Amino acid sequence: MNERGGAPLLSMRQISKRFGAVEALSGVDFEVRAHEVVALVGDNGAGKSTLARMVSGVLQPDAGIIEIEGQQVSISSPSVAHEMRIATVFQDLALADNLDVTANLFLGHELRENGMLQDGRMEQITRDVLAKLASRIPSVRTPLSALSAGQRQSVAIARTLIGDPRLVVLDEPTAALSAVQTAEVLTHIERLRDLGLGVILISHNMTDVRAVSDRIEVLRHGRNNGSFDASRTSFEEILAAITGATHVEPGLRSVG
Amino acid sequence: MRLGGAASGSQSSLREGNRSLVVEAIQRFGGLTQVELVGATGLSAATVSSIVKELQTAGLVDTRTTIRSGRRAQLVRLASRTGLVAGVLIGHRQLRVALGDIAHDIVAEQVLPLPDEHRVDTSLDRAALLVVELAERAGASLDEVLAIGVGLPAPVEPGTGMITVPGIMRGWDGIHIVHVMSKRLAKPVVVENDANLGALAESRFGAARGYRDSLYVRASYGIGAGIVISGQVHRGFAGTAGEIGHVQVDPQGAICRCGSRGCLDTVVGAGALLEPLRASHGSLALRDVVQMANDGDPGCRQVIADAGAAIGSVVASLAVAVNPQCVAVGGELAETGEVLIGPMRDAIRRRVLLNQIAPLEVLPAELGQRAEVLGAIALALEAAEIPLDAAETPPAAGEGADGGTQEDGDDHGVAERR
Repeated sequence: MNERGGAPLLSMRQISKRFGAVEALSGVDFEVRAHEVVALVGDNGAGKSTLARMVSGVLQPDAGIIEIEGQQVSISSPSVAHEMRIATVFQDLALADNLDVTANLFLGHELRENGMLQDGRMEQITRDVLAKLASRIPSVRTPLSALSAGQRQSVAIARTLIGDPRLVVLDEPTAALSAVQTAEVLTHIERLRDLGLGVILISHNMTDVRAVSDRIEVLRHGRNNGSFDASRTSFEEILAAITGATHVEPGLRSVG
Repeated sequence: MRLGGAASGSQSSLREGNRSLVVEAIQRFGGLTQVELVGATGLSAATVSSIVKELQTAGLVDTRTTIRSGRRAQLVRLASRTGLVAGVLIGHRQLRVALGDIAHDIVAEQVLPLPDEHRVDTSLDRAALLVVELAERAGASLDEVLAIGVGLPAPVEPGTGMITVPGIMRGWDGIHIVHVMSKRLAKPVVVENDANLGALAESRFGAARGYRDSLYVRASYGIGAGIVISGQVHRGFAGTAGEIGHVQVDPQGAICRCGSRGCLDTVVGAGALLEPLRASHGSLALRDVVQMANDGDPGCRQVIADAGAAIGSVVASLAVAVNPQCVAVGGELAETGEVLIGPMRDAIRRRVLLNQIAPLEVLPAELGQRAEVLGAIALALEAAEIPLDAAETPPAAGEGADGGTQEDGDDHGVAERR
């Protein structure tokens, strides 16, 4: 949804990245607007995670321009990304099993007053955030080890909302979840979008991608291979772009 | 609160409050262990334990032993009165599954966003899995689910669940939905049109309660209506009664999915609502239009108000034929309230004949987004009683499949706990 004019939330232009002899990304353009879910799809090794890691500050591009709301920026580390209000949920979730839900949400960003932890306030905020996502976690004091896979995913997504982000990156959030858990996570994604955030969704599941995305960007061998309006594109068209049966430019045929 | 505390009954009113806290938590989360109840309510373990005992004696909840994080635990759940039924609503962009008990109270519910033009095999598969997993979440097993009611946004044949008008849902034509779902779940399955389910629920429990004759209009991605005559849903010969989405409103209009020209759906269906906003508002989803109309966006309000007027004039004609006392309006567009319903009411009130003795009531559906699944639950409950009364048990083959699905459900439960 791009009725709100002006600069996009995130704009990446002509991004390239090499790992030694391997060209992971080459001249990739990518854009996310507020109130929009953009899915990043492609085969294994197409460069999806590499691109996402640049957004979350884990990797830096060798060449190319990154702009946030029209300002050219360098996302030099994950903490810089956090300051820019970009939140990421990695595939392995990066949660601490021995801590409870509240501690996980605030890990590294604990609220303090005169050096004292504000436990009550943090628990209250945690409850509010979980309620905002319509999450089904009964207690904010449950240790993570006692939660199901779907509940852990909820906690990981809820954590992104601490610190008032404007852009959320989700790497394979529905992999290895049951039907109910998948339903919960997809509902969370819709909720994030309705809250006005930009969401980057990386997934292999075309049903999930088409259910919640506004736009689908296909990467193939580290290059753009099509951009699709999710509500007007069939499974087949997207699969054709992923497998390389269709190309955005004829020149791409020589690649790979 | 402070005032209440000063009264002599403070101890018992506190206890009353704690009891309702516990009951609310169980309702909200389905089945919870006592430890989880402590976390969810903020009460002490001893208080929770004694309240659970009380509720158990009163027959409100029952407990059973379960395993959480490798330890034995007492799972507390609402005492289900002799079983559960599932209501499934398959929409254009959403799947809603709810489990209800005999008293039509919903004990567990989940919504799954669906892609545009979703596939019949994937969607029915996911619906079946959601029923199994929701039963698990409510602290029950699939054995306790007596029947499943399914709603579809198309006219269906009651016995088979097959869509009677080809082309309305791409890829779903000719699918024997009753057969597919009962094979997956080994339970009696009934399939009905979504607007008819909404009509059933609204006339029994909602806005049209107490009226003998009423209409239910479902304004969603497409438009449908359900007709209730003398308290009974009128389906017609092929289940197409009330399909006002396919009434011609524009003889020069576009060709509809059903094959006719200028149907109401081609004027107020989701595609027709979104297209005029594309130039000014960009590419929107129907949800966005509803949300923005509620936030006061004039363009989105205009589109929905015009749709209300167009739907209203078709409903007025239907009302002349049926002479109802009440029109209940549901579906996603009805979430905009008077933005949609105001112009609908105006169009209906303009018909002199309808408003002779008393003005025809045009009301928002009381059950909101749950109307259709509640109707599906009510319909499934009726179906569930057939094998009990007439001893017409499902075929033996179904019993075998039951065992298979059961194991499936357990597998998921294990995965969930890991």
